[in-house]
Amino acid sequence: MENTSTSVNIRNLSVDFGNTNAVKNIDLLIRRNELFVLVGPSGCGKSTTLNTIAGLIKPSHGEILLGEEVVTDIENGIFVRPQDRNLAMVFQDYAIYPHLTVYKNIAFPLETRKEDRHNIKQRVEDTAERLEIKSLLDRRPKQLSGGQRQRVALARAIVRQPKVFLMDEPLSNLDAKLRVNARAEIKKIHESINATIIYVTHDQIEAMSIGDRIGIMNKGILEQVGEPNEIYNHPVNTFVAGFIGDPPMNFFAGELVEEDSTLYFKIHDALFKLHHTFKSNKGDIIIGIRPENITILEEGIANSLQANITIMENIGKEYIIHLELPDSTIAIVTVIPEQAENLKIDQTIWLDLDGARAHIFDASNGLNLKDKMK
Amino acid sequence: MLMPAIALVGYFVYVSIIWNLVVSVSDWKGLRPSYNFSGFGEYLDLMDDTKFRTSLTNNIMLILLFVPMSLVLGLFMAILLDQHLKYEGFFRTIFLLPFTLSFVVTAYLWRWMYNPKQGVINMLLRNSGLGFLAQDWVTNPDLVMYSIVFALLWQFSGYVMLIFLAGIRSIPETQINAAKLDGASGFYLYRRVIIPQIKSSSFTAFVILMVFALKAFDFIFILTGGGPGYSSEILSLTMYEEAFAITNFTTGSAIATIMFFLVMLIVLPYLHITYRRKN
Amino acid sequence: MSSTRFDKFWEIYNSERLRRGLLYLVLIVMVFWILLPLWAAFVTAFKSQQDLQTTAPYQPSPSPTLEPLRATFEIMIRPLFNSLTFTIFATIFSCLIGSMAGFILSRIQFKGSETVFLLIIVGIFIPYQAVLVPLFLTMARLGLINNLLALVITHTAFGIPICTLLFRSFYEEIPESLINAAIVDGAGIWRIYRKIVLPLSTLPFIVATVFQFTNIWNDFLFGLILSSGINAQPASVALSNLKGSQVALWHYQMAGTLWYSLPSLLVYFFLGKYLMRGFMTGALKG
Repeated sequence: MENTSTSVNIRNLSVDFGNTNAVKNIDLLIRRNELFVLVGPSGCGKSTTLNTIAGLIKPSHGEILLGEEVVTDIENGIFVRPQDRNLAMVFQDYAIYPHLTVYKNIAFPLETRKEDRHNIKQRVEDTAERLEIKSLLDRRPKQLSGGQRQRVALARAIVRQPKVFLMDEPLSNLDAKLRVNARAEIKKIHESINATIIYVTHDQIEAMSIGDRIGIMNKGILEQVGEPNEIYNHPVNTFVAGFIGDPPMNFFAGELVEEDSTLYFKIHDALFKLHHTFKSNKGDIIIGIRPENITILEEGIANSLQANITIMENIGKEYIIHLELPDSTIAIVTVIPEQAENLKIDQTIWLDLDGARAHIFDASNGLNLKDKMK
Repeated sequence: MLMPAIALVGYFVYVSIIWNLVVSVSDWKGLRPSYNFSGFGEYLDLMDDTKFRTSLTNNIMLILLFVPMSLVLGLFMAILLDQHLKYEGFFRTIFLLPFTLSFVVTAYLWRWMYNPKQGVINMLLRNSGLGFLAQDWVTNPDLVMYSIVFALLWQFSGYVMLIFLAGIRSIPETQINAAKLDGASGFYLYRRVIIPQIKSSSFTAFVILMVFALKAFDFIFILTGGGPGYSSEILSLTMYEEAFAITNFTTGSAIATIMFFLVMLIVLPYLHITYRRKN
Repeated sequence: MSSTRFDKFWEIYNSERLRRGLLYLVLIVMVFWILLPLWAAFVTAFKSQQDLQTTAPYQPSPSPTLEPLRATFEIMIRPLFNSLTFTIFATIFSCLIGSMAGFILSRIQFKGSETVFLLIIVGIFIPYQAVLVPLFLTMARLGLINNLLALVITHTAFGIPICTLLFRSFYEEIPESLINAAIVDGAGIWRIYRKIVLPLSTLPFIVATVFQFTNIWNDFLFGLILSSGINAQPASVALSNLKGSQVALWHYQMAGTLWYSLPSLLVYFFLGKYLMRGFMTGALKG
């Protein structure tokens, strides 16, 4: 199949619904053939952004380009209808036509564009084969399972080689088990058809696992864009840091202290050594540290934090330990099963934090204070 | 707790229907009740009676004109209102207004509209130089049924529109969006995606209109009384005249029984199809 | 480059605008079509005898008068009061009975409950002609001809089917867990109905009340058969007599029409959305 995919360039996009700003001044460039994931909590504006790219919503201002073509330019009065954008979209509820057979469903976009009949048959069958639903072509949607319907929706999207694929939480309606396989399938499809995919989800695990790059949105703002590793290891603010990662990052209030020209962060009276330079040494800071970067010690040492075990969750490959510090801060730590055997609820233990992996955030605005290492 | 409902409906509907049937085959004459079985003579007599035959023919004509036109007009209006209008609520309220009026009111309104000498329609035509188009809308036997159908369209179109609009709106928006992205717009979108999915609404509207056309009484009674002559006479009118004007109870109830069976012919399949799904 | 942008702009701006404009034009024409008969009736009700000759039927009177309204009010006040009476009572009774029936049929699955439901629903569709003679005979036997009670009973009975349908479809939406919780707490059917279901029934009661009020108020046939005597006449029958005694006195006829349609118009303008819901529930099943 020839490659018709393009990049998507979004400039200064804003969408207002009455008095609410759903999307605020987004600038984003999605590269050709990349699988870009837009992730964020409910109501963050990710679906709105997607619908705006599709042309289903007209933004309040901004520009959208598909490759070289301007499809939305509010300031200059340009707006291409969704019908004419040559995009495909897969919806959370699949949105396949219940009154048509699977074949007719997949053929619909081609028939609408008045393609040649013989050509249509060929392409529908090829696409159905690729998605392993060729045997279902004569069935109607209500006879299919959820997973099968989802593949019909995918087939309908793939069959016409659009410029960009838009996916709006396509896996949210599937059972947890099916979801893992479906995720892999989407990645596989992406590799085989070499398309630009913009994928929206609220599930950060999904985002991390399939995205070439991720964009995190919160309350209409694009907080950070980057590859999964970068987002995970270099979150730009407390929101991103707390959103990505499961179990989520722990946050402690504290201060930066300099002693003998070494930087430490201090929580209560414990000092933890830092290995990086930071932008500012003054003011209140928030220390972020992931569950896997905290060690539980059964006996206290100097510069460790005392805490009480409140809950122990056994998830098989590891234990998630919930702890409460004397000032009521909650912390979460993951330990391997072997160590968990020695721990019990209400036990008092001590926490050692890995300073090399800590993140320091400005308490006033949540921004990560880390200087980039040269 | 269910008893009052069962008792009242059971008596007033089912017992009454059977009673009605019994009367139609009894030898009751005049005002003194009499319930001896006297055969199906009434029914046979009706078949030969010209008034009844005209009545039946007119009723069929009413159905054939009124039902399809209402469906088309109602669907058209529903599609118009589906266009994400700013004042949709306003239009909906106006269009539905006639249906909330009593048929007595509608009959009066249209008597005034159709009056040949001073009526609204003819005066409008004359005052705009189209006086030659003025007609004897309800006094011309050839025109009267059409005039009746037109007035009933006026009354019912908003209701049919409402039914279709509800059906159209029940299609999930994501499906419409998917169709748009697939390239469908305007008329094509309606033809291939929306209209095929409103079968149950269409069926419901169809049944309701059919049943109405069969039992319509109030409007025609007041507008024309069946006239001129018998040109707008329909079954319900004939039934009323026989039973309550001439006090031929047996004839009246025979006509009523025929009406009942005609209506059931449509309603029973409808109920069967609609409620079979529940099990 | 700027000219292509400009052209594209105008292309889209124009064709979309044109289509919208056409749409609204068609809609306005239809509004006129709907409102014309009502407008003509309205202006005619304020005309004097002379106005009828000198003005076109759709033209308002240059000097409107309240005389037709006053005169017809005298004629119609008693029938209007009659209609109000039996309509209110029959509405209340049919709603209550329909609510109980709808509740039982929506939650209790006894053998034949579907059948009972269907048998009741048939009552919505039957042509009243099929029961008219027995109805008349019944009321005659009970001595209730020309008595408002006859109309109360009749309208209650024939209102039950649609009320049952309305309430049942509404009650089916109540989460089963709510009812189950009450059962586990030891509540019997009546208690569940009174304490849980009834308080949740505000909406269907409004819908059913508005729907029934409109239908019963608008009825003509039952009034004609059962109660056309001068004292117990419903307003619909009184109105129909207006044309007989006042031939070509259009302004009186239109005034009478206004009086009669006033209550249902008021209900429609204030509670219209409930009426619409009633129409739609009656129509859409499954």
